[in-house]
Amino acid sequence: MSRLFNFLSLRRDFLWLKILFAIFTGLVGAALLHLIIVFSLPQFSQRDAYTRIIAEGESHRFYRLGEQPDRAGLSKEDPMMEMSVCSFDISETPVRLTAPNIGVPFWSLGVFDASSDEIFSINDRTSADHVLDVVVGTPAQLAALRKSLPRGFSQTVLVEAQQTEGYAVLRSFVTHKSVVPVISKFLEQATCAPFQWRTRVQF
Amino acid sequence: MFRVPFLVAIALAIAFGGGIWSTRLALDATIGFGAIKLGSWEAFPEAQTADADPYAKSHRANAGKLLYATAEGLSFTATTDDSGARLSGSCTYQLTGQTPTARFWTLFATGPDGRPPAADANLPSSLNSRMVGRQPDGSLDITIASRARPGNWLASPQQGQFRLTLTLLDTPAAGSSGLIDLSMPAIRRIGCGNV
Repeated sequence: MSRLFNFLSLRRDFLWLKILFAIFTGLVGAALLHLIIVFSLPQFSQRDAYTRIIAEGESHRFYRLGEQPDRAGLSKEDPMMEMSVCSFDISETPVRLTAPNIGVPFWSLGVFDASSDEIFSINDRTSADHVLDVVVGTPAQLAALRKSLPRGFSQTVLVEAQQTEGYAVLRSFVTHKSVVPVISKFLEQATCAPFQWRTRVQF
Repeated sequence: MFRVPFLVAIALAIAFGGGIWSTRLALDATIGFGAIKLGSWEAFPEAQTADADPYAKSHRANAGKLLYATAEGLSFTATTDDSGARLSGSCTYQLTGQTPTARFWTLFATGPDGRPPAADANLPSSLNSRMVGRQPDGSLDITIASRARPGNWLASPQQGQFRLTLTLLDTPAAGSSGLIDLSMPAIRRIGCGNV
C-alpha cells in the first residue's frame, strides 16, 4: 500500500515538474517574442510617421497639418507650432526644399529617412539670410551637382541621404495670433519639388 | 492522455500572451532609454536619430509622431510634480525657475485624452516665452490651475490627470545631452480643491 502511495506521489511530482517546465518554456518564449516584436516592429509598422505622410497624398508637395487628426492620422502636436509635411523620393532626381524669408519669427526643418531617422535639420538662424534652400540627394547625385553647380546655388545647403525615400517636416512658431497670416503664407510658399538641374545645364 | 497537449498549450499561452502583453506595456510605458531627467521633466534628445535604442525606434514606429530634429528643438514632458505625485486637474501648481538656454519655448497641458489643447481656446491653455511676464531676475513664475489666477496663468484641464509639455525651440540642450548643466523649472503643488 505504501509503495503504491509512493509511486502515485512520484507520478504527481513528475507532473508538477512538467508543468513547471512548460511554464518556464513559455516564459522563455515570451521573452523571445518580446524581443522579436520590439526589433521588427519598425519594419512592419503601418502607423509610423513615414507611412502616415505617404497616406496624406502625392509626394513632393507640402501638406499643412491641422489641429484634428486628418485621414492619415497626423495632427499638430503643439498648439503654438504650425507644421507642414512632405514626402519625397530621390531615386531619380534630388529634391529641393525652399521657402522665402518673409519675416516669420521662427522656422525649422527636419529631414528624415523612411525609417524616421533624422538626416538633417536646420532652422532660420542656422540658414543663410533666414531663407530655406536645401537640396537632398544621393551621394552620386550631389557629386554630379557639385561638379556643375548652376548659378545662384552658392547659398544652397546640399544634404546627402543614404536612403532614397524620406520626408521633411517644416515647422513655424506662432508667437502670437497676429503672425498667423504670415506663417500661413510662409507655409503655402514652401516648396518640396524634384530638382531638375541637368536639363537647365544642357541649354 | 491529454497531458502533453495541455503542457504545450500552457507553454504557448504564456509565450504569446506574455510576449505581446510585455511588449505593449514596454512601448506604452516608455519612449526608450537615453532620457534626460531633470526633476520631474523628461526628454529624449536621441529618440529621432539613428542612434536611438531599439525600444525608442519601436515606440516611434508605433506612435507615428513627428519628432523634433536636433536643430528644431527638444520637448520635455512632466507627469508628476517635484514630490512625485501625479499632476491632477483639481490641484494648483506653481512653476518657478529657469529653462535651459533656448530662443523660444512653449508650454501646454495635455488632458487625459492625450490631445493638445486648441490654439484658439478661450482659456490660456498654452503659453510661450513671448507671452509670460518675468520676475526681476528673469526667472519664471507660472501658476497652473483650472481656475483663473492673477499673473501668469496656464489653464489646466478641469479634472483628471494631465501632462505638461515644455518645448524648447533652437536649444543647445538638444545637441549635447549631459554636457551642459541644464536646469528646468520646478513644479510645486500649492494646494488642491478650492485653494
